[in-house]
Amino acid sequence: MQFAARVSLGFTAFLAAVLLAGCGESRTPAGDASAGRKVYRHSMDEAPSSLDPVQAANVYANHVAINVYDTLYSYKYLARPYELKPNLADGWPEISEDLLTYTIRIKPGVHFIDDPAFEGGVGRELTAEDVVYSIKRHFDPATLPQGAWLWQGRVAGLQEWKAAGSDYDQPASGLVALDRYTLRIQLAKPYPQLLDSLAQGYAAVVPREAVERYGAQFAMRPVGSGPFRLVSFDTSRILLERNPKFRQEPVDLEAEGYDPATQGGYGLERIAGRSPPFVDLLEMDFINEPSARWNSFTKGDEVQYTTVPNEQLDRVLASRSPVRLKPEYEERYHSFAAIEAGFIFQVFNLNFPEFGYHPDPGQERRNKALRCAIIKAFDWEARNESFYGGIGEVYPGIIVPVVPEFDPDTPRDSITRDVEGARRLLAEHGWNAQNLPVLTYGTTGSVVMRLMFEQFRAWLKEIGYPTSKVVLRQYATFGDISRAWKQSELPWIAKGWGLDYPDAENTLQLFYGPNGSPGSNDANYRNPEYDRLYEQASVMLASPERTGIYRRMNRMLIDDCVAVTGLSRKRIHLWHRDVIALPDREIVGGFFLKYVDVLDKPAAGGR
Amino acid sequence: MEMLQYSLRKLLAGIPLILGVTLVSFLLMVYFGPDQTYTLLGKNPTPEQIAEVRAQLGYDQPFVTRYAGYLRELATLDFGSSHSTGEPVSALLGRTAPVSLALVAPGFVLGNVLAILLALLAAHHRSRWPDKAIMGLAVVGMSISFLIVIVAFQIVFSSASGLNMFPVRGWGASSLREYLHFVTVPTLAIVFVSLGYNTRFYRSVIVEEMTRDHVRTARAFGTPPARLMLRNVLANCLIPIVTRIVFSIPLIAISGSLIVESYFGIPGIGKATYDAIMVGDQPVLKAVVGLTAVLFVLAQLFVDILYRAVDPRVSLQ
Amino acid sequence: MNAPAASAVDANGAPAASRRETLWHKALWKLRRDRAGMAGLAVVMLYFLAAIGVWLGWWATGWAEVAGGKWEAPSAAHWFGTNLIGQDIFARSVYSISTAFEVGLVVAVLATLLGGVLGALAGFFAGRFTDELVVWLMGVLDSIPFYLLVAAIAFAMAGNPYAMHVAMISTFWITTARLVRGEVIKLRQLEFVEAAHAIGVPEYTIVFRHILPNTLHILLVQSTITFVAAIKSEVILSFLGLGVKDGMSWGLMIAESTIEVLAGFFGNFLAASLLMFGLVMAFNFLSDALQDALDPRQVS
Repeated sequence: MQFAARVSLGFTAFLAAVLLAGCGESRTPAGDASAGRKVYRHSMDEAPSSLDPVQAANVYANHVAINVYDTLYSYKYLARPYELKPNLADGWPEISEDLLTYTIRIKPGVHFIDDPAFEGGVGRELTAEDVVYSIKRHFDPATLPQGAWLWQGRVAGLQEWKAAGSDYDQPASGLVALDRYTLRIQLAKPYPQLLDSLAQGYAAVVPREAVERYGAQFAMRPVGSGPFRLVSFDTSRILLERNPKFRQEPVDLEAEGYDPATQGGYGLERIAGRSPPFVDLLEMDFINEPSARWNSFTKGDEVQYTTVPNEQLDRVLASRSPVRLKPEYEERYHSFAAIEAGFIFQVFNLNFPEFGYHPDPGQERRNKALRCAIIKAFDWEARNESFYGGIGEVYPGIIVPVVPEFDPDTPRDSITRDVEGARRLLAEHGWNAQNLPVLTYGTTGSVVMRLMFEQFRAWLKEIGYPTSKVVLRQYATFGDISRAWKQSELPWIAKGWGLDYPDAENTLQLFYGPNGSPGSNDANYRNPEYDRLYEQASVMLASPERTGIYRRMNRMLIDDCVAVTGLSRKRIHLWHRDVIALPDREIVGGFFLKYVDVLDKPAAGGR
Repeated sequence: MEMLQYSLRKLLAGIPLILGVTLVSFLLMVYFGPDQTYTLLGKNPTPEQIAEVRAQLGYDQPFVTRYAGYLRELATLDFGSSHSTGEPVSALLGRTAPVSLALVAPGFVLGNVLAILLALLAAHHRSRWPDKAIMGLAVVGMSISFLIVIVAFQIVFSSASGLNMFPVRGWGASSLREYLHFVTVPTLAIVFVSLGYNTRFYRSVIVEEMTRDHVRTARAFGTPPARLMLRNVLANCLIPIVTRIVFSIPLIAISGSLIVESYFGIPGIGKATYDAIMVGDQPVLKAVVGLTAVLFVLAQLFVDILYRAVDPRVSLQ
Repeated sequence: MNAPAASAVDANGAPAASRRETLWHKALWKLRRDRAGMAGLAVVMLYFLAAIGVWLGWWATGWAEVAGGKWEAPSAAHWFGTNLIGQDIFARSVYSISTAFEVGLVVAVLATLLGGVLGALAGFFAGRFTDELVVWLMGVLDSIPFYLLVAAIAFAMAGNPYAMHVAMISTFWITTARLVRGEVIKLRQLEFVEAAHAIGVPEYTIVFRHILPNTLHILLVQSTITFVAAIKSEVILSFLGLGVKDGMSWGLMIAESTIEVLAGFFGNFLAASLLMFGLVMAFNFLSDALQDALDPRQVS
């Protein structure tokens, strides 16, 4: 018994030690580095895999890329719909009559951060030559670039430069630095989205010295001229600190598109006339699990920003439309409900003869009826309720609500569930449980994706599609399922698309014939009339005429029953009351971060 | 001298093992393994761009070349750089392995020490109620899935519906306080899960030892129970105990604790490996699997030598 | 339980058979007196009946149907409430019993069989090439971390629904093989084996007709241990997205629960954890009792 007593004593002592550690009063956010400095702790659901701008393929990477690097153009902090503004560029470009030549001036006196890669370790001035170099990198296979599609076939000479071996010392005809501060871009055909492309993380300006010095490690070691510089980075957190050399550019709230009517309560007036960045340390925690992110946010002394996870919506919201928080949350947090610049949708792969194109026109008609019936079976309302908190916006077609070309009056029959109509359609075209084709539904292993599949299968059962004919094929990773899409191996593709720039062209190209697999036209939709209109519109500047063409194309897709579409998610951003910001993760992503300010902590005794 | 010879021979015998592990893992994880091409492609890729990426990643090389390259990397311990981040694999391992070690070590030590104490207690009271209670609880503990423990502990210790005393996730070890702050909940989960298994194992080892003559004799001579258990029993059980511990180490040091790390968001080697699997980052996978194998062989060697040093009867087979 | 003993009686195996007979009789007697073990057995049988009912379509047929609204509270219609898309959680947790048995049985039977055969061969030919090969293979597979190996196999088999089973079998046979190998090394020095050798019985016949049946007690105990390990691993693998593909399992339910426990919905978590805990614990007690009864030298 003596022995037992000793064991339990030891255990109690251990427990006590542990509990004491847990009760500690100070919980420093970013560790020792934060003492006495102004810190903002952001959270995101995923970590960027690479910090190299040539691989800034998603919002996560862009959040970092455009904050440690500079881009020629940028989106205004507060204007919605999104509007461009000059950033590193000194004003708007000079554009030739034929829309083919752009001359862009660059602000003088912008310096890269100090880094051993530079002579003497002191950051040198950024010049037009750096811009040329940075874009050329997308045409050098050795950098594993992902942004070439933005300029390929549009900016003259880049393809040739690549064919000639991607030698940076050789010129590319369409991309020239006329002098230290002047850049000339020569286009092969008009490219109305060129300036948008120059606001992407892909177009961030990097110094050649650093790329060459650090090689593959450059992806972990950004050397830029943006508002922040890297302190540390791993898969759970990135820590950035203010770049003391960042150029002084006082905020002009009006020019940023400030709207006191809708944005008045956030304290944004505080930043007027001051030069960003306003925080000394910018930490971003990458937290996959929504529940963990939510816990961290509500604890109060950890991350200061989150989007509300769907499972918390009922707890947090007093009303969904319009979005309003319950008083206890309203009191503690700022909030903003933003519709995503992108959408989720499903397409049929028309290369599959059982659902799409068929040598026999009669069969092709029956296939179309089958597709239309499946579209009618799809219950957008239930999908929205289960997975998007019931606050997503459902609309017909692929022109998403954030772009100016969106038409709220498009007839909604393609997104209205009609089980009877679907059954009738199937019966009229001779479809029955015996002859319906097997529909292989590809998905990754995530539990949410699985539930979506189960829900879809249950709907199809209601229109008479046998459960045994709706088959799950699970892919271990997103890379694997992407390969299946690109290689046209799946008849049904459920995916999301994030807009690169606020122009409907970005989604309409998803159905342009020449973009068929492995391109982005996963549906392998081939409609000569659609392609003709796309080519016509793609060289036009924004105009009512172009909007008309866009809408006609949208109509064609709806009529051809190619896609089940679409839904744009609504995210409710929450941030602590002591943070002055209007967070946003759409269009490029993260350009608001340099404007974030944090109030000093009130003295003890306050709430 | 004889010992050295013996060790060298054992080391040589480890070579086929390493070759086997590398071959199997290379086949599974690299040759048929995840393909990173499609995560590294831009939007709207052309077939040429796909081919370029594959060439950059070396996927177009024949099997033998790639396997030979892997062996060379293993021999020189130079695995190059991660395909997705560009971070050198050695830096990645150097960054993540200590985290995993710091994460798992307290749970590992406590799990074993507590288990040995409980096992001594149970063995001491063999077949009476403390024994039955401890063994019953061990079975209960063994029956609860690790996953359930983690979810439940997170709710209890780290959520607003529970005690809300510890961070939900994350990692930091710049001070002892911070370290304890982050490591506690994972440690409790690890201890909870391993305790049942360990206690049973150690109890069976100890009970076996207790039936030996020398223990009976000592007992007959009236050695006090604590002293008897520690000096006569525990000291003689050291070999199986050390064996078990030594064999667990490579797994902790290299593959870490994948589930704990991914659930608690701790940037250790387990999470890094899992991420590497998910995106097909082959240099990282190759390093982790290869090094685990090497460590395993070394652990085996160590145990063999230990056996021989402690117990001369072990033959040189 | 009498079958193996009866079938093993043959001309030259007579002494061994009678030895075994008394062992099995004693074991059965001992097992019957082990209350925890018998309770475990009863619970396992109950679960097994539930699984059979699922296989025969008697109950839990509606596990895939959308039967209600999102996250409904427990009610008479839905004992554990409904999940995110309105499926009945109780039906899903019951259906998962059949998945657990399917995974457990397939893995336990095949892994034990494989372990028994390879272990017996290695033990019988100890020191020869066959043995070296098996020992090498065990070492190789043991040296690859389990979850890495499973993930790798899942990849290599490109989404095949049995990737998980293959992965588990390819690691779980090793322990059994080690134990059997050790036992066989002892057995082959016994008289009846030497006698069989002497009268010219072919080696493989000796292994499979005379030696392997003598390791049955190990195989039986090991198969229960493997069964439990398989169920527990399934949960974790399914949680990681590497396990059950088409169908439902406790692991998938716990994965579902992670997106809802903080919203205050514990249906999936409770249903899956409780059912799983019950089965695993019952199996553990049964397995212990079997071990006590069959392997008196092992003190655990």
